[in-house]
Order: sequence, then C-alpha cells, then structure tokens
Amino acid sequence: MLYREAGQFKTTYAGDQQVFPIRQDRIGVAVVLVVAFVVVPLIGNQYWLSAILTPFLIFALATLGLNILTGYAGQLSLGTAAFMAVGAFMAFNFELRAPWMPILVSFALAGLCAAAVGVAFGLPSLRIKGFYLAVATLACQFFVLWALQRIGWFTNHSASGVITAQKVVILGYAFDTPATKYMLTLGIVTVLAVLAKNMLRSETGRKFMAVRDMDLAAEVIGIRMMQTKLLAFAISSFYCGVAGALYAFTYLGTVEPEAFTLDLSFRILFMVIVGGVGSILGSFLGAAFITLLPIFLNTMAHPIEELLGVTLPAGLMSNLELIVFGALIIFFLIVEPHGLARLWQIGKEKLRLWPFPH
Amino acid sequence: MQDRVILHDDIGAMEADFSGMSFTTGAEVDAFYDEADRRMEATGKRWYFLVIYTDCVIAPDVWDRFAARGKSTNIKYGLGTVRVGTSAGTRETIRQSAQREMFRANIYESRDSAILALGELRKRHETLGGTVGAEVVDGEGIVRVDDIHLNFGGVKAIAGVGFEVNRGEISSIIGPNGAGKSSMLNVISGFYRPSRGRIYFEGRDRTHLAAHDVARLGFARTFQNIALFKGMSTLDNIMTGRSLKIKGNFLTDALYWGFAQKEETAQRQHVEKIIDFLEIQAIRKTPVGKLPYGLQKRVELARALAMEPKVLLLDEPMAGMNVEEKEDMVRFILDVNDQWGTTIILIEHDMGVVMDISHYVVVMDHGGKIAEGTPGEVKADPVVIRAYLGAH
Amino acid sequence: MNWQFFLEVLVGGLLAGVMYSLVALGFVLIYKASGVFNFAQGAMVFLAALTFVSLLERGVNFWLAIAIALAVMVVLGIAIERLVLRPLVNQPQITLFMATIGLSFVLEGLSQLVWGSQPHGLEIGIPDVPMQWLADTLGINVSQFDVFAAVVAGILVAALAVFFQTTRIGRALRAVADDHQAALAVGIPLRQIWAIVWTVAGFVALVAGIMWGARNGVQYALTFIALKALPVLILGGFESVAGAIVGGLIVGASEKLAEVYLGPYVGGGLESWFPYVLALAFLLVRPEGLFGEKRIERV
Repeated sequence: MLYREAGQFKTTYAGDQQVFPIRQDRIGVAVVLVVAFVVVPLIGNQYWLSAILTPFLIFALATLGLNILTGYAGQLSLGTAAFMAVGAFMAFNFELRAPWMPILVSFALAGLCAAAVGVAFGLPSLRIKGFYLAVATLACQFFVLWALQRIGWFTNHSASGVITAQKVVILGYAFDTPATKYMLTLGIVTVLAVLAKNMLRSETGRKFMAVRDMDLAAEVIGIRMMQTKLLAFAISSFYCGVAGALYAFTYLGTVEPEAFTLDLSFRILFMVIVGGVGSILGSFLGAAFITLLPIFLNTMAHPIEELLGVTLPAGLMSNLELIVFGALIIFFLIVEPHGLARLWQIGKEKLRLWPFPH
Repeated sequence: MQDRVILHDDIGAMEADFSGMSFTTGAEVDAFYDEADRRMEATGKRWYFLVIYTDCVIAPDVWDRFAARGKSTNIKYGLGTVRVGTSAGTRETIRQSAQREMFRANIYESRDSAILALGELRKRHETLGGTVGAEVVDGEGIVRVDDIHLNFGGVKAIAGVGFEVNRGEISSIIGPNGAGKSSMLNVISGFYRPSRGRIYFEGRDRTHLAAHDVARLGFARTFQNIALFKGMSTLDNIMTGRSLKIKGNFLTDALYWGFAQKEETAQRQHVEKIIDFLEIQAIRKTPVGKLPYGLQKRVELARALAMEPKVLLLDEPMAGMNVEEKEDMVRFILDVNDQWGTTIILIEHDMGVVMDISHYVVVMDHGGKIAEGTPGEVKADPVVIRAYLGAH
Repeated sequence: MNWQFFLEVLVGGLLAGVMYSLVALGFVLIYKASGVFNFAQGAMVFLAALTFVSLLERGVNFWLAIAIALAVMVVLGIAIERLVLRPLVNQPQITLFMATIGLSFVLEGLSQLVWGSQPHGLEIGIPDVPMQWLADTLGINVSQFDVFAAVVAGILVAALAVFFQTTRIGRALRAVADDHQAALAVGIPLRQIWAIVWTVAGFVALVAGIMWGARNGVQYALTFIALKALPVLILGGFESVAGAIVGGLIVGASEKLAEVYLGPYVGGGLESWFPYVLALAFLLVRPEGLFGEKRIERV
C-alpha cells in the first residue's frame, strides 16, 4: 500500500536508468542523507561518533573497495588490509614531506599509491583464478606489512614503528572534534560511493561482471581481460587506500603496521559476505553489522552476568566474538549467500505487496 | 564462336555455351576465351557467368590452360559463376577441380535451375549494396581456412580441413557427433590456436590473433552451452555486446551525468532495436539465469548481434528447442542474413533446417572434411550419405 | 663460503619443511576426497594439540590422551560434515573455502573457550639438542627433535600411501576424489567416506599438533602454521601427498636459506613473506604445482 510503483512510468531511457527509479526509494534515501549529514552531528554523543559511526563509515568504504574487486569483478583478494596500510602510511608521508599539499590531495595520492600496489599484485590474476589468486594476495598482504615494518622511511624512522597522523586542516578549518571528523569521513565516503555506483552501473561495471561470470565469453565479445582485471584491482585498492588514510587520520590517530594484519583483511571479507557480494548497499549493511556486533556482545555481557550470577572470565568475550563471527559466516553462506542486501531486497518485495500476501 | 558467347542483358549474365564442344589444343581454348574477353571488354562492365558443360570434352593436357584462362576471365570481368553439367562424370570432375583450386563449384543439373540460382546470387549481392566487385570473385571469400590442424594433447580434433565462406551467405558445417565441428568454430572465432594452417579474413592472414582481437575484426558467436553472464539481466547482457562500440572509460563512467549518460542512452537505443527484432521486450530486466532455455539462446543471439558483426558464428543455435522455437530462430537467422547481409556460419544437427537455409554446406567427420557444396550437391553425395545422413 | 654452515642451515630448513608437510598433508587429504580447501586445518591442529596437552596436564596417561584427542577430532569431523559441508554441497569452491575460513574462527574461539588461552609447553621426551654423532663426524648441528619429527612424518606418509593404494577404503577415497557422481553411481557411500577422510585428517592434525606443540609450545600462534602450508600446497599441487612432502621441503629449505643469506641485506624477517612470493612465482609458471593435475578449460 505504501510502497507502490503504480503511476510511476518512465518515458525516457535516462529515466529508466536512474539509480532509484521508485519515488518512495528516493524519499527514503533523502531522509537517510538528511539524518546522516544533519541530525547525527547535532545530537550524536562523542562516543558514538568517534568509536562507532566513524569507523563504520571507514570500514564501509574498505568493504566497498573489496566488493568492487571480489563481488563485481570476481577476483578473490585477502590483501585488503595491506592496501589500507599503504594508504595510511603514504598519506602520512605525503603530509610529512610535502606539508604544503592540501590534505585531500594527500589522501588521493595515497589512494593512487595503493592502486599501484594493487595493480602490481593483481598481475597474477591474468594467469590464476579462485583461491590460487587468494594465495597471491596473501603474498601481497605479508610483503607489504613486512616492508612497512622494516623500511624505516615509511614510519619516518620512528623507534617504535608507530606514526602519529597529522591534524586534518582544510582551508584553515581544523577537523579535530569527533563531530567534524565524522562529517569529513561521511563526506568523502558519500562522494566515493556515488562515484562507485556510477561506475558500476555503466560499461565499467558490466565489464567487471562479465569477467566475473564467464571470462572466456567476455573475451569473445571483445572485452580485454588484462585491462579489465587490472582496472578492478586499481579502483578497489584506491578505495581501500583512501579508507586506510581515513583510518589513520580521522579514527585511530596513531597507527602502526600491526593494525593492518590478515585478521583485518578477513574481517572486511566477512563484511562483504554478510552484507552481500556485489552490492553497494550490502557493503554498508555488512560493515554496520560487523562493527556493531562486538559492541552488542559486550553490552550483553553484563545482563548475562547478572542473570547467571557469575562473573565471566576476561577472555570469554573475545573468544565468543570469534565463534559468533565464524558461525555467522557459515550461516550466511548456507542460508543467504547474497547477504543482507538480498534480505533487504526480499523485504522490499514483500513491502510492495503489503498488506496483501501475494 | 559468336553464338557460343551470349550476353543476357536482362539477368546481367554472360552465357558460355561449351555444350557439345571439344577442346584438344591450347589454341582452341584461347580462341574461345579471347572472344569472350573481347565481347565483355566492349561492354565495359562486369557480368555473372553461366557456363554450360553438357557433353563438353576437354583433353587432359589442356585442362590447366582451360582453368587458368577461366580464372583470369573471372578476375577481370566476373561477378560470380554458376555451372550446368548434366552428366555425373562432368560434375565430379568440376567438383574436384573446385576443391583443389578453392572455388565454388556451384553446379546444377539443368540450365533453368542454374539461372534460378544466379538470380538468388544477384539478390544477395544487391542486399549488400556496394560491396560487390572484386571480393565476390570465386576463390576469395570473406573467411577462408586453409589446412587447419588442431591437437589437444594426443587427440587430433581437426586434421587438415580447408574451406571458404562467401560474404553474405549462410554456410553450414555439419557432421556426426565428435566430427570436430565445434572445434572448427572455436578455431575460426580465435578461441583455439590451430597447430597448423592459416585463417584468412577478407584476404588477410589472421591466424595468430587473440579472441578479443578477432571480435574487433567483426566476428561474433554464440555457444553450444550458452555463455551468458548469469549475474546480469537480459538488457545488461546485450549491452555487453556493445563493449567494442561504446565510448568512454572508467573516469567518464564515474562522473556519469554528461558524457557517459548520453553514451548509455545511445547504446540503449541500439540495443532496444535488437530487442524489438528478436521480440524479447518482456524479459528485458529479468536476470538471465531465470529464463527458460529457448529464451536464453535468443538473448545470446541478441548479444552477438549487438556487436554488429560481419561474420556471425552460431554453434547449434537450435539445440534443445521445440518446433515453434526452432521456427522462430530460423526466421531470425534468415532475417539477419537478409536485412543486414551478415555472413553466417552455422553448426546444426537439424538437417531440414540446414538444407533449407544454407547456401553452402561443409561436411566433417572424424576431424576431416568429407564433402562440401550446395545443399543439393551434399544431399546427393554418396560419401555424406554413408557417413551421416542415413535415411534422410 | 662456509659449507658446514650452509649444510646446517639447509638440513635445518629441510627438517622444518617436514613439519610444514605434516600440516599440509591434512589439507591434501581433505582436498583429495571432497574438493574442499579446508582453511580451518590450522585451527584443527591447534584444537587437537590443545586438547591433548590439556589432558596431559590434568594427569591423563599419554596414550589415553592421544586416544581421547583423536576421538574429539573424529566427532569434530562428523560434525563439520553434517553442519557445514552438507548444506553447502553444490556451491562453488570459493563458497566452501570461505565457509572454512568461518569454521577456523569458530574452532579457534571454541578451543580457547574450553581450554583457556594460556600457552602450554609440551614435552614428549625428545630433547631439542644437536645429534651428537653428526656434530662429531660432520661438524654440523642438527636437532634430534627435528630428525624425530622427520621420521614420524615419513612413517605417516608411508602409512597413508599404503592405505590409499591397497585398502578398499583407500580405493574408494581415490574414486571420490576423482568424481563424486561416478563414485555415487558405483555405490560408494559418499557421506561415510567424507567422515572417514575428516577423521584421518584429524589424526594427521593431531600428530602435526603434537610435533609443533613440542617444538614451539601450544599457543594461539599455532594456527598461523596453517598459513605456511599454503605455499607448500601451491608448490606441490593440492592433490598430491608426495607434493605436500616435496613442497614442504622446498618451502622449509628456501625459507631458512633466504633468511640466513638474504636476510641481513634487507633487515631480516624474510620468512613472513618469502614462501608466498616463491609460491606466487611458481603459480605464474606452473599453476598446478609440481605434482598437480593440469586443468584444461573447454567451452
């Protein structure tokens, strides 16, 4: 009843190709954007802004990057954290050695460096596929981490191996409160998400999906394998690189190479799986889910302790987290391999019919 | 010689009447051809050839001269040749010569059927408009494969096959299962590199081109087991067929509004024409994985057509279809050939379809070519019947 | 060039490689029989070792502890087959691979939940000291323990090889590895076979866990050993027992040699990525590994 398309006809191809063809969707998206950009910074408390929303946005961006590579182009990658690390450390270095450069440019350049690394380690994809490729990306993950730890230039020869991200100042305005950092992150992520959506619904996206679905047929149509796969690696790594830079500058503040371990790569892969492979909305949903889960578990700890009258051992929560993550992955793979995004779609389908059953 | 060379203005054909003649010396051959050349030179234009071989005797030692003069006349003044041979012995001789020299025998049993075929040839050429000329001379088709060998490890999939496909025609490759037909198609589409032999496109050697470069030249194909992109809708699948034509790069795509949007709309218009042509409007937005088999095959054809190919390779386009679906598919294939003059190379098991719509048929068995010719010739060939056709 | 030193490093590397092979064997078994690349193998090694050592510490007899740990692995194998593999039976390989990643998380969390997260030392009676007579005769130091591990691995491989080639079950396993459908058609009970395979893999994991635990202590880091097994498998081929051995030897030796001879130039720590880059280079030249089967893609 509410979610009806009746009366909304498209008379041009451009109209048909809109991202949100249904008016109710457009309204919904507008509401979300208003809430995100206006309401949240006004009413959000420090903790939520700095410890939950900002990292959620950053992980959503990284998940989006991985989704482009794995979900749309079908190239499995376990090196996401490495690309983020390149972004973080290169942004730091650009700011350090060329302080006259606007910080957004530093971020962009850091992303390009990550893209270059992505292309280099993506070259094997021209010859190998599936989890052989995953192993190749593992090589990238370990090598990059080692390089960041051993080659002093990256950390400006800091004795502890830790770098402190510089303040973010754009046109004289300092982004140093949780609210302003959140806004900056939100702005960057929104712009990049829009660009990604545009790319993925046009020829670029089709080429990626063709390579994913049947690369031999794609070749016969004239799609160049090498260009397409390497472009996917480049764009994906760029997004992960920018996410890494944001990770350092608007969230953590201080970073060390150990923050970008294989564990983080897996975590982002989980966000892709849970959220929905090959879906931009899914990237956000998955990131939200995985970011909120540990918090949810932690808040559950107290009521359970009170209920059972026991004090739970210290390591219990972290182990429980591992178990729940793992079980969730298996659950989603069995029940809904297309993740939360598909569940969302199914929900919308049901909503279109509501209140009728079919 | 006057009455042996007749110029028919109405059908644009020169009739060379060799019936009852005998050639025993080179001089006799030259006398005839000199007269024919002179007459056609005087008109200043090109002619179709109608050659009557009934009861014609040519001494073995002047055969080469005869053939050489014929070829040179063809190149200078010809548009295409049909031949009439009423005796089986004559037909066999000409066919063998055609195989050796790589030209179309185009042999008919009566003058009337030859003239009918000539009419068809003219009509086909007219559809192509403006491409008629030197390319259409016998022995220079749009696609030629020469002595192709293909090995998979120790298995010989193709052993020394060569044939030629003329522009604007529908040619079929038939043969029992395992004959190497699909492999041949894969070689032509650049999928497999032949272990030996050459492939020519419009006269140029393209043997070593990769698959995507072959596509760029103007080849499109469908697959036996449907190679659609299962994760995309019908519309998106067909749009991928426009990949070679669509302009822009990932940056223009990212900044969508403006250039990329205009391109998308323009390409969409082109694709919609194909959707209308193949009558698949209703399933535009359906993910192809959900479509029934027959419709999937049609979408695959649409995708191939979206590439605006010069040569269309169809691998069993009618496999697994019921009678109505087959009729639809045949209609589409004929329309494609008629309207756009697309050269079509077809692998098909349904003999009725093959014989009805093909202009030329190549028969393969156990990796080799055992016969070729017009459907009529092939149907009557005892070698083919023995290998394959059985009771048809 | 100090040949004695080189030999020492080489032999040490080879023996370390044998340890990798032990873990890789578990992978190969499961991949051979069910086509699943079991990323959770490392977690299984960890679980097996942790169970074993925790039982020992509670005063359980050595051989009884082994039996109990083995039983745990058997139950685990059956549970995995029922809860994870069966629901995902027709999914693409990638999906199964990711499911095993999830599985590894579950097992890691579970192991520590049940037995606690402190590291445990493990003594099995073989000291990690150089073999006296080798030191005396050739002047090189080779750990007794490493040699013992090599011998154990050798026996295990030989036993597995005999098992596969001669017994009826072994034959059935090979049939299943080749073609599930065909195996079903001949009446081979697929589910039982899979349960058996995971059990054998569990046993191999237990042995590997005990050896690694005795060497490095039983702690969370044990799970990362599995990651080292990946380059081993790429070099050797995913389906080959011989490949696991050879691959392990190559990885172990090259890792140690690189660390010793190249390490000083680049600041050390090479072993974290060298085997991977080596495997990567190998993949580009020979994607199916030394002993793997070549795949031809037909359309």
